[in-house]
Amino acid sequence: MVGRTLPGLARAVILLAGLGLSACSGGGGGSDSPAPLPPPPSPPSQPGPSGEGTFETEAETARFLTQATFGPTSAEINALTGTSASAWFRREVSKRASHNLQYVLEYTMSERGRTSNGVNVSYEGNQSPTFSFWVNAIEADDQLRQRMAFALSEILVISHIESVELFDEPVSVADYQDILIDNAFGNFRELLEDVTYSPAMAEWLTYLRNKKADERTGRMPDENYAREVMQLFTIGLVELNQDGTERTDAAGEHIPTYSNEDVVGLARVFTGLSVANERFDKGFHEAPLASLYSRLQIWPEHHSQREKAFLGTVIPENTPAEQSIATALDTLYEHPNLPPFFSRQLIQRFITSDPSPAYVERVADAFASGRYTLPDGSSVGDGRRGSLEATLAAVLFDSEARSETARNRSDFGKIREPILRFTGWARAFDAGDIRPEDSPLLWNTGSAQALAQAPYKSPSVFNFYRPGYVAPGTESGAAGMTVPELQIVNASSTAGYTNFMSYFALAYPRNAREPLEATSFIPDYREERQLAGSPAALVDHLSLVLAYDSLLPATRTNIVEAIDEVPLTSQYDPDYDGELMRIGLATLMVMTSPEYLVQR
Amino acid sequence: MSYSRRLFMKSALASAMTGATLSTLGPSLQQFQAQAASASGYKALVCMFFFGGLDTHDILIPYDASSYSAYGEIRQGLIARYAAQDGNSRQRAQLLPLAPENAADFAGRQFALPPELPGIHSLFQSGRAAVVANVGPLAEPTTRAQFEGRSVTLPARLFSHNDQQSTWMANKPEGAQFGWGGRFADAILRSGSAQIPEFTAITTQGNQVFLTGEHVLPFPVDLNGAGRFDLVEGFRDNPFGQDGNRTYERLRAHFLESGNRSNLIERDMGLALAGALEKNEAFNSAVENAPTLQTDFPGSGIARQLQAVAQTIATRNTLLMNRQIFFVGRGGFDTHSNQAGNLPRIMAEFDAAVTAFQAALEEIGAADDVTLFTASDFGRTLAVNDDGTDHGWGSHHFVIGNAVRGNRIYGDVPPPAFDHDYDSGHGRLIPTLSVDQFAGALGRWFGLNDSELLTALPGLAAFDPRVSAASFI
Repeated sequence: MVGRTLPGLARAVILLAGLGLSACSGGGGGSDSPAPLPPPPSPPSQPGPSGEGTFETEAETARFLTQATFGPTSAEINALTGTSASAWFRREVSKRASHNLQYVLEYTMSERGRTSNGVNVSYEGNQSPTFSFWVNAIEADDQLRQRMAFALSEILVISHIESVELFDEPVSVADYQDILIDNAFGNFRELLEDVTYSPAMAEWLTYLRNKKADERTGRMPDENYAREVMQLFTIGLVELNQDGTERTDAAGEHIPTYSNEDVVGLARVFTGLSVANERFDKGFHEAPLASLYSRLQIWPEHHSQREKAFLGTVIPENTPAEQSIATALDTLYEHPNLPPFFSRQLIQRFITSDPSPAYVERVADAFASGRYTLPDGSSVGDGRRGSLEATLAAVLFDSEARSETARNRSDFGKIREPILRFTGWARAFDAGDIRPEDSPLLWNTGSAQALAQAPYKSPSVFNFYRPGYVAPGTESGAAGMTVPELQIVNASSTAGYTNFMSYFALAYPRNAREPLEATSFIPDYREERQLAGSPAALVDHLSLVLAYDSLLPATRTNIVEAIDEVPLTSQYDPDYDGELMRIGLATLMVMTSPEYLVQR
Repeated sequence: MSYSRRLFMKSALASAMTGATLSTLGPSLQQFQAQAASASGYKALVCMFFFGGLDTHDILIPYDASSYSAYGEIRQGLIARYAAQDGNSRQRAQLLPLAPENAADFAGRQFALPPELPGIHSLFQSGRAAVVANVGPLAEPTTRAQFEGRSVTLPARLFSHNDQQSTWMANKPEGAQFGWGGRFADAILRSGSAQIPEFTAITTQGNQVFLTGEHVLPFPVDLNGAGRFDLVEGFRDNPFGQDGNRTYERLRAHFLESGNRSNLIERDMGLALAGALEKNEAFNSAVENAPTLQTDFPGSGIARQLQAVAQTIATRNTLLMNRQIFFVGRGGFDTHSNQAGNLPRIMAEFDAAVTAFQAALEEIGAADDVTLFTASDFGRTLAVNDDGTDHGWGSHHFVIGNAVRGNRIYGDVPPPAFDHDYDSGHGRLIPTLSVDQFAGALGRWFGLNDSELLTALPGLAAFDPRVSAASFI
C-alpha cells in the first residue's frame, strides 16, 4: 500500500481538514489565458577566451554549477559570482578525490551491514555502495570529479540491481566507483584498462572465469564483453565522422564498424581472467575479500592461444593474455570512432541532448589532441589522445554550452536526470543528516514514489536511456532530436517523481516522536523561512537556487498564488507549520516546472 | 522496511470517488469517453517480452532419443551444470514431452518442454497454446548460403540487444518510431472502432516502441492502476477552506499548463506532466470501482504485471474498450553465464504467472478474447561457452489463449546440429518465419484486413502473408 500513502503534507492537510479553519480568503478562480512565451533572449555573452564572464551574475554561476556539479549551494553561488570559472575548473581538478571503498568496507563490517549471525553481508550492506554514492554526491567537495564519475557510470555501465550476482559483492561495486573517480580527469586508455581488469565489470559482463575454446566439447569463449565494449563503451555500431554524424557508403548506407566475426575474434582476448582465488573455477563469492576489489589476475592456461583477429588487428597465435588485452584496448583507443562516440555522450550527460555536429567535433578534437584552452587562456590536458580533463573542459566551456544564443534555441538543453534533481534539492537546502541507509526511497526503486533512476542500478548495460533515443509521439521526436532522458519519462514516472520529492521537500525537522527514518535528509529551510511571509520573494529565491532564475512569469504566478493563501498558523493545531507548508509546496512546484526539469 | 515516516493513508482523505458511478466521475474521463462510440466485442493482444535474448534451444528441447543425444553432445558443458543441480532438469527423463497434433510434420523428431513449464505444457496439450518455431527478423527469406554469400538483404545490426529488441517490436533498429502493436491500434482506431485512444496501448514496462503508433502511446499502469499525484490529491478537498479551493486550483493549473512554452524539450516534459495528471486521474476513476479479481496470482514481477493486465481487462466495459494491446516483460535472459542457475528460475515464474493469468481471464469471461504471445531480442547459440550461451537470431515462441489453434508446433525446427541450411554459425538460427509473418497472423485475428496488415507490417510484402494468416490463430 505504499503507493496509497501521502507524505508530510497530508499531516497538515488532515489536521486542518474539517476543522473549519478558514484562511485568508481572497482572489477567485484562475485565469484561463495561456502562459506567455519565454521572454526575449538577453544579449549573448562573448564565448571564447575573452569571455571570462561565466560567473558574472548569480544566475550564471548557478547555471554553470547546475551543469557541472550535483547542484549549486547558496554559499557557492555567493562565493563564486564574480570570480573566474577557469580557475574554478582548475581548482576542482586538483582537489583530493573522495572515494567509496573505505565507506563500503566499514559499512559491511558494521552491525547494520551484516546479517544477524554476523557472518554475512546484509541486504543493507549490499546496498552500501548506493549510500556512499549519495553521501559523496551531496557532501563531497570534489564535485566536478564526482559528477564526471557519475557521467562515466552511464557510459561504461555496471549495475548492482538486486537480481544480479554483483549485488552480493558491494566491495566490487565500490571499487568500480572508485576506478571511475580516480580516472575522471585521467586518460581514456587507462580508464578502459582499469575497467577491463575490474572484478565488477568482469562479473557484470560475464568474462570472469571466461575460458578459451575447447574443440572437443565445442565450447567457445563468452562473447559478452567483446561485443559490448565495442558497441557501448568505445566505438559504437557504425562508422562516424569526427562530428559524430554517421558516415555512409556510395549507396548511402551506414557502414558497420564490426561484424560478428570481429566479436568472435575479440572474445578470445578476454579469456583467462578471474579474481585472485584458489582455483580458476572457484566462485566469485568464495574469493578472498581483497581480491574482489583488486585488479583481475591472469590464468595463462585458460587464455586462448589462437590467433585473435578483429577490426583489422591480428594478434598472432600464442600471444599472452596481458599483451593481447593491451593490443585490443589500443585498437579500440586508436579507433577513429572513439573521440566522437564518447564526446557526444559526454555532452549529453552535462549540457544538451542533441548537440550540434560542430559542438561534437570541437569536443572530439579536444579528446583526440588531449588539450583544451580555458577561457582565461590557460591550457588543460596533457596532450595525449583521450585526456578526459581536456574533453570535459571542452564540454563545459564550449560556446554552445555557454552562449545565450545557443541557450535560447528551441532544441537546446537536457532533462535533468532524476538523480540530479534530488541532489540539486539536497544541496540547495544544505540537507543535513545525510544517511541514505535511513531513507529507503533512495535505494529501493520499486515503489510508486520511486525516482525511476538509481546510481549504478541501470536495468541493463544499456543504461536507463540510450544516447540515440528519439522519443516517439513527442515534439522533439518529430524534430528528429535525440533526447535520452525522455525514455524514462511517462505517466508513471512523473507521478512517482512528484511523490518522491514530496516526501523529502515537506520533511519536518527532527522530532522525537517520529521514527528513525524521519531524521535523515532534513532540509535547512532557515533562509527560506525568513521569506515565507512574502510569497513572491520566496518564489524568486527558490527560482535562483533551484533553477538559476529561469522560471517563466506564468509559472511564477501560479506558485505565488498557490502558496499565498496557505495559512501560516493554525489556532487549532500548534504543530501545524505553515512556513514549511508554503516552502515545501513552492519548492515542489518549482521542481515540477519544465524550467527546473529541463536544464538549459 | 517501513515507509511510515510522516506518511498517512490516503484513505484518510478519500473523497467523493467512493461509490461514484460513471456519470459522477470527473470531467476528464467523460471527455475521453465522449470520443468513444459503439463498442462491440472485445479482443486484446498481450506481448510478453523476454529481455536479453531467451535461449529457446533450452525451451523447445529435442526429445526423441537420437535428437536428444545429439543435443546433449553439443551442449554437454551446460547439461553438466544442470546435472549438478537438484532435479537435473535437462535430463531426458525430467522433460515434459509434447504430443502435438501435427507430430507427423516432424518425421519422427519429438520435442519437449523443460520441467519448469508445467502450466504451459498443460495449456499446450489442452489445445490452448501453440509453439511457433524459429521466428525472427528477416528482410526476405534467407538460407545459410545466402547469408554467407551476402546475396540477400539482412536485418540491420543483427545480434545487438537494443537493435534486435527494436527490430522485433518495430521492424527497425534502435530509433524506430512506431511499433507493430501501435500500428495495429492505429488501424483499429482508423477503421472507426472509436474507443479511447489513450487507453488502447497499455504497458507495465515503461516506454516501449512496440506500443507506439500515430494515434497511440504506451500508457503505464501497475497493480495500483495509474500513477497518482499525491501532492495534487492532498489538496483536492480544500483543506484550508479557501474560496475557490485556490491552492488546489493553482496546483492543477501548474501541471496542466506546463506544456505552454517554446523550448521543445521543455514542451515535451510539460506535455508529459499535463497528460499524466489528466489521463491518470481519468483511468483511476474508472478502475477504482472495478471488481477485485478472485484469482490468486503469485508474487513475482511477471505475475504482478499480468495481474495488472487482467485487472485492466476487467474494466474493459467501464472504459468502453473493444481492442487493447498490452506489453509486459522481464529481463534476466542474457544468459552468457550461469544459464542453468537463472533461466529455469525465471521461466518458472513465467509459467506460474501465465497459468494464473489464464485463470483470471476465465474468471472475467475474457479467455476467448485475449491472446498472449512471447517475444525476445533473439535466440542464442546452440554452442555453449561453458556455463552460458551467446547472442543468436531466430527463436521459438509461445502463443497462448483460447483463440489459438493449440497443441501444434508451427513452422520449422532446425535440427540440433551445426552447418545446416539455417545455421548462421554456432547454432545462431536463421529464422524460417519472419516476425512480420508471426505478427501478421496475430493482426488478422485482431481484426486487421490485408491492406491494413501491409500498412502495419511493411516488411510483410516480402513474404507470403497467407503462410502465417492461415496458421496458428
